Amino acid sequence: MRILFIEAKYEKPVYLTDNLRKYLKNKKTKSIALFASVQFSNLDNFIKEIEKLKIKVNITKAKRTSSVLQILGCDCYKDTFKVPIIEQSDLILYVGDGLFHPKALLLSQIKNEKIKPVIIYNPIAKDIRELTEKDIEQQLKKMKANLRKYLNAEKIGILVSIKPGQQYLALAKKLKEQLVKEGKKPYIFVDNTFDLNALENYPFIQCWVNTACPRIGTDDIINIEQPMINIREAFDPVKELEEFQ
Amino acid sequence: MFNLELDKVIEEIQKRKPEQVLIQLPDGLKHRAAEIVDTIEDKTDVQIFILFGGTFGACDLPLGLNVLNIDLMIQWGHNRFHKEEW
Repeated sequence: MRILFIEAKYEKPVYLTDNLRKYLKNKKTKSIALFASVQFSNLDNFIKEIEKLKIKVNITKAKRTSSVLQILGCDCYKDTFKVPIIEQSDLILYVGDGLFHPKALLLSQIKNEKIKPVIIYNPIAKDIRELTEKDIEQQLKKMKANLRKYLNAEKIGILVSIKPGQQYLALAKKLKEQLVKEGKKPYIFVDNTFDLNALENYPFIQCWVNTACPRIGTDDIINIEQPMINIREAFDPVKELEEFQ
Repeated sequence: MFNLELDKVIEEIQKRKPEQVLIQLPDGLKHRAAEIVDTIEDKTDVQIFILFGGTFGACDLPLGLNVLNIDLMIQWGHNRFHKEEW
C-alpha cells in the first residue's frame, strides 16, 4: 500500500502583527529560534519582516520532521535539533495553534540550566501566548519521581506498540536483557494504542517503561497513578536523574 | 483556510490507478470529508473510504488495511515521519 501525505498548508500569508512586533521589541530581542507546525511552515515573508527589526532568525531541522522549521511533538529532546538554535537564541518563537508541539520545545530543555519560555504566535487568532517552565512543572516533578521509583522497582512492564512509526521491540528486548542481568523481572506488553486505564489490570508491575510515543512518558504520566518512564531514560536511570537535578 | 491540494490528489490517483483509497483527516479537517470524497469520486473511478477515528500523526498509520485491499492511503495534515532508529 502506498501513502500520500498532503500537508494542508495554511492558505493565507503569515505576517508580523503589531502586537508581536511590540512584544519582540519590549523583550529587546536580538535573536529568535523559529519553529512552526507543518501547516504554517511557509514563513519566508514573516522571517524577512522580523529581520527588518534587526533580529537574527535562527532555523534548524528537527530529527523526525521532513522540513526545516517544522517541529513535531516527539521532537522533545535536546539532541533532536541539527543546530542548537534554542541555546543560541534569546527567544523561542513557535508559529501555529495548539500546545502539543510548542511544549516539545520546553521539554527539549529540561536538562539545561535554564528553561527558556516559548512564545506561541497563532496566525489564525493572531494572538500571542507564553509557555514557561511553570507549564511543565508538574510533569517534571512526576518524571523525576518516576525515575526514582524505576530504580527501586523489581517487576517492570515494558510497553511496545505495533504502530510502525512507534515500534521499538528490538530496543525493548535489549532493555529486558539488561534488566534481567541486574536481577530484575521485566515483562514485555504489546498493543496498538495503550489505554493507560488498563495498567491497573497488572498490579504486580511496580514501574512501566514506555517505548512508543515519548510524550506518553512526559505528558500522560500526569493522569496515571502508576509510575512510568520512557525507554530513553531506562538504560541509565542514575545518569538521567543526575542530569535532571 | 487550509489547502487540501485536491488537484494534486486527483493527479496522483490518475497516475497510480488504485482501486480503493482510504483518506485520513485530522480532527480539524474532518468536516471537509464529504467535499474531498465527492470531488475525487467525481473526477476518478476509485472507491474512497474515510478513516473514522483519529490519528496521532504520521507515526500512527492504521494497520491491517490489506484486509480491505486498500491500495493507497492519503493522509492530510502531516508529512513524512522520520522514525528515530536506536
